[in-house]
Amino acid sequence: MNLSLHPILVLLIFPGGLFLLASGLVYQWADRKLIARFQNRVGPRFIQPLADTVKLLAKEEIIPAGVHKGLFIVLPVIALAAALTAGLNVPLFGFQPAASFRGDLIIALYALSVLTLTMGLAGANTVSSFSLIGATRTLTQLFSYEAPFLLALLGPAIAAGTWQISKINDYAGQNIWLMLAQPIGFVVSLIGLMGKLELPPFDAPEAETEIVAGAMTEYSGRGYALFRLGKDVELVIGLTLVATFYLGGLANPLQFVIKTMALLLVLALLQTAFARLRIDQTVGLWWRAGALLAVVQLIAIIVGRYLTTVF
Amino acid sequence: MSADINKFVIPIGPQHPALKEPANFEFWVDGEIVTGASVRLGYVHRGIEKGAEARTWVQNLYLMERICGICSHVHATAYTLGVEKLAGVQVSPRANAIRQIMGELERIHSHMLWLGVAAHEGGFDSLFMYSWRDRETVMDLLEKISGNKVHYSANLLGGVKFDITPELAAEIHKGLEFLDERNRFYLKVVNQDETFIGRTRGIGTMNAERANFLGAIGPTARASGIAHDIRVDAPYLNYSEFPIKVQTHTSGDLHGRFIVRINETFESIRVIREILDHMPPGELTVRMPRRIPAGEAVSRVEAPRGELLYFVASNGTDKPERVKVRTPSLCNWSTVLSLAIGLRLADMPMLLTGIDPCFSCNDRSVSVKRGTQDPSVWSWEKLRQYGIEYYR
Amino acid sequence: MPIGTMMSDLVRSLFKKPATELYPYVKKPAPARLRGKLTWNPENCSGCQLCIKDCPSNAIDLVTVDKATKQFVMRYHVDHCIYCAQCVVSCRFGCLALSNEDWELAIGNKEPLGIFYGKEENIARVLEQLAQAGAEQPAVPEE
Repeated sequence: MNLSLHPILVLLIFPGGLFLLASGLVYQWADRKLIARFQNRVGPRFIQPLADTVKLLAKEEIIPAGVHKGLFIVLPVIALAAALTAGLNVPLFGFQPAASFRGDLIIALYALSVLTLTMGLAGANTVSSFSLIGATRTLTQLFSYEAPFLLALLGPAIAAGTWQISKINDYAGQNIWLMLAQPIGFVVSLIGLMGKLELPPFDAPEAETEIVAGAMTEYSGRGYALFRLGKDVELVIGLTLVATFYLGGLANPLQFVIKTMALLLVLALLQTAFARLRIDQTVGLWWRAGALLAVVQLIAIIVGRYLTTVF
Repeated sequence: MSADINKFVIPIGPQHPALKEPANFEFWVDGEIVTGASVRLGYVHRGIEKGAEARTWVQNLYLMERICGICSHVHATAYTLGVEKLAGVQVSPRANAIRQIMGELERIHSHMLWLGVAAHEGGFDSLFMYSWRDRETVMDLLEKISGNKVHYSANLLGGVKFDITPELAAEIHKGLEFLDERNRFYLKVVNQDETFIGRTRGIGTMNAERANFLGAIGPTARASGIAHDIRVDAPYLNYSEFPIKVQTHTSGDLHGRFIVRINETFESIRVIREILDHMPPGELTVRMPRRIPAGEAVSRVEAPRGELLYFVASNGTDKPERVKVRTPSLCNWSTVLSLAIGLRLADMPMLLTGIDPCFSCNDRSVSVKRGTQDPSVWSWEKLRQYGIEYYR
Repeated sequence: MPIGTMMSDLVRSLFKKPATELYPYVKKPAPARLRGKLTWNPENCSGCQLCIKDCPSNAIDLVTVDKATKQFVMRYHVDHCIYCAQCVVSCRFGCLALSNEDWELAIGNKEPLGIFYGKEENIARVLEQLAQAGAEQPAVPEE
C-alpha cells in the first residue's frame, strides 16, 4: 500500500519513529505474554512494557568509573537510531517503505548489525568483567550468524532478481509463498532471526545466570531504556523482513499484523522449548549446520533458475 | 597469580543472579576457560549454634529447624534424635513413621525445587516453571498434614505433633500419583532433550576415587557410583523396616546427578506409599524430661543433600551445653573448586547448582585466622575491635 | 536426536488456564490444620506458664490479675510469633489454638500487633496498670 506522507512525518511519527517505538513495545508485550502462556503462567498486562520504559527513563543513570563518558552516553542513542533507520527501508505495517532504493537490503541489514555492534562496544567500554565477557560473546555471535542469515535472505532476493526490499515485497506478493518454495532458507532465516535478536536459546551474550546481563550490566536508566527500545524495534523489523521475504509479502496493514504475529507465535514457542546453548555450541551450530544449509539452499535456487532458463 | 595479567577474575557473588543466597566465588578465566576457582562463605552466618546455648531444649527445636528452609525437617529430626538418645527415650513406631513420611515428602520437594533451579541456571526456563508448578502439589500436601508450607514443625521432643488420618492418607496417595507421573516426564526430558544434554553431559565428571578423595557426599557422590546413604548404612527412624534402595549412577557428571536425584524422588514416593499402607500403631508423643541428663550424642540423618551430622552435648540442665551442626553442602564445595578448572565459564552456574548447595546450612562455624592475643577464645569486645580494624 | 521434548506440554498450556492463583482476587480455602493466629481461652487456664517457657520467640506473656481465682490476661505479640504450635502442645488443658482462618496478618503499623486475651474487666485493669506504669517512667523500647 502506498502512503503519501512527508518524509519527516514518516521518520518521526508514522509509520516510523514514535509509531515504530510504540509497536516495538506492543510486540515485546506479545512476546512476553506468549512465552508466559506457553509456560502455564499469566504473563504481563498490556501496559507493562510502557511502564517499564517510563520507569527506566525516570531512573538515575549511573556512569561507572573508568569508562569513556562520551561513548557511554552516545552508544545507546546510536543503537536506537540505527534500528529506527532500518525501519525506513522495510515495508512497515504493509505500507511502501519510505526510502527505497537499489541495494537497500544490505543497508537495512547493516543498520541492524550496527545495533549489535554498539551493544558489543558498550560492553567493551565498561571495565566490569561481566560486560567484557558479554561483549566478547555478542561479537562472537555476530560473526557466526551473519553469514547464514544473509544467505538465507539472499534466496528470495535471487528469486526476485533484485536487492531492493520493496521490489522483493511485490515479487513475493505475486508469486507462491517462498516459505514453500525455499523451505530450508525459511528455517535458516527464522533461526537466524533468533540469533540476531539474542533470543533464547541463543541468549548466551546476555545469559542472566552466568554474566548478570552481559554487555548491558552497567547500564541503567536512560541508556538501558534506549537499548531495550532498540532491541524491540529490531524485533519488529526482523519479523517484517522474514514475513516479507518468505510469507508472501506484506500488501496492507492487516496482512502485516497477521503474518508477523504468526511468526511471533512460532518464535515464542521456539524460545521456550530449548535450553540455552553455550557460546561455543552456538558458533559450532551456525558455522556447521547453519552455513551448510544456507549454501545448500542457495545452490538449489541457482540450479533451479538455470533449469528454468534452459527449459 | 600476580604475573598473569591476561587472565581476569569473574566474581560470582556475593550478589549474582546465579546464586539464590550470598557466597563469594572467584573464577580466574582465560577467555571462556576457567583456570582457577576460590570460594568465600560466611555471608549467611547467623550465630545459630551460639544461640542454641541460650535457649532451652524445646526452644532449640524450632531454632534448629530454621537453619534451612528446604531441609528444615531433617534438621529438626536430627536434633530430636540426638536429644532423645541423651534422655534415653524411645518414641513410638507411629511417631517414627510420621517423621519418616514428612522427611521423604520433604526430599521430594527439595529435589523438585533443585530440578527447577538447575534448569533455570542452564537457561531452560520452561522446565523450571513446570517443575515448580508441580512442586506446589507436594507443598500443598505438606500444608494439609502440618499446617505450614515451609517450616513444618512436625517434631516434638518425644514424638510428633499431628497424626495422619486415613482421609489424609488418601489425599497423599492422590498427590503422589500426580508427582510420579510428572517426574517420569521430567526424567524423559532430562534424558532425551539434546539441548539439555549438551549442557549437562560430560560437565564436571569425577570418578568414584576422585569423589572419595574430595570428600563428596550425598547425591553428588552417588552420581559417581559411591553407594553411601545413611538411611541404609546407619538406619534411623523406621528405615530398617521400610528400607530404601540406594540410587547410584556411573557417569559421575552433571547429567548423572540429575538422574540420581530424580530416581531418589521415585524411591521416596515408593517408600511413602509403603509406609502409608502399613502405618504402625502407637501414640504420638512420649513423656520427655525437662532436664536432659548430661552426656554427648551424635545423630546422623540423610538430608536431601547428603549426610547431616548433629553433635549434642548436655550438662544436665535445661539448656544444651553445645550443639554442633555439620551440614552436607559444606563437604561438596571442594568438588566444585576442583572440577571447575578446565571448564567453560558458561558451565559454572550449573556446576555450582549441581551439588545442590544450601548456603544457609553451610555457614555454621567461624574460623579465626589471626588472633591478637589469645586465638582460642575471643570476647565480644575483641571481635568488635577486629572488625573495626579490618574495615578501616 | 530429540529436541524440544517439552513441546507437547508447551503447546497444550497455550489453551489451558494459567496455573497461577490470582490472589488476592481469588482465595483458596486454607487447609484445616493451617497454623494461623493464636487464640487463648482463659476458661481452663491454671497459670502453669509452661506455654510461656516453651515459646521459642517470647511471643506470649501471662499477666496475673488474681492468682487465687485464676484470673489471667495473656499478652500475645503477633509479630514475634513463629506459628510453631509448641504452646498449643505444651498446654495440658487445651487453652490455646492456632486459627486456620485468621492468617492474613501483614499490617502497616505495630500498634495492633500486641493483643490481649482474657475477660474484659481483666484486660481493662491490665491496660490501666500499664498506662500508669508508662506515665511514671519513660517508655522503654519493647525487647
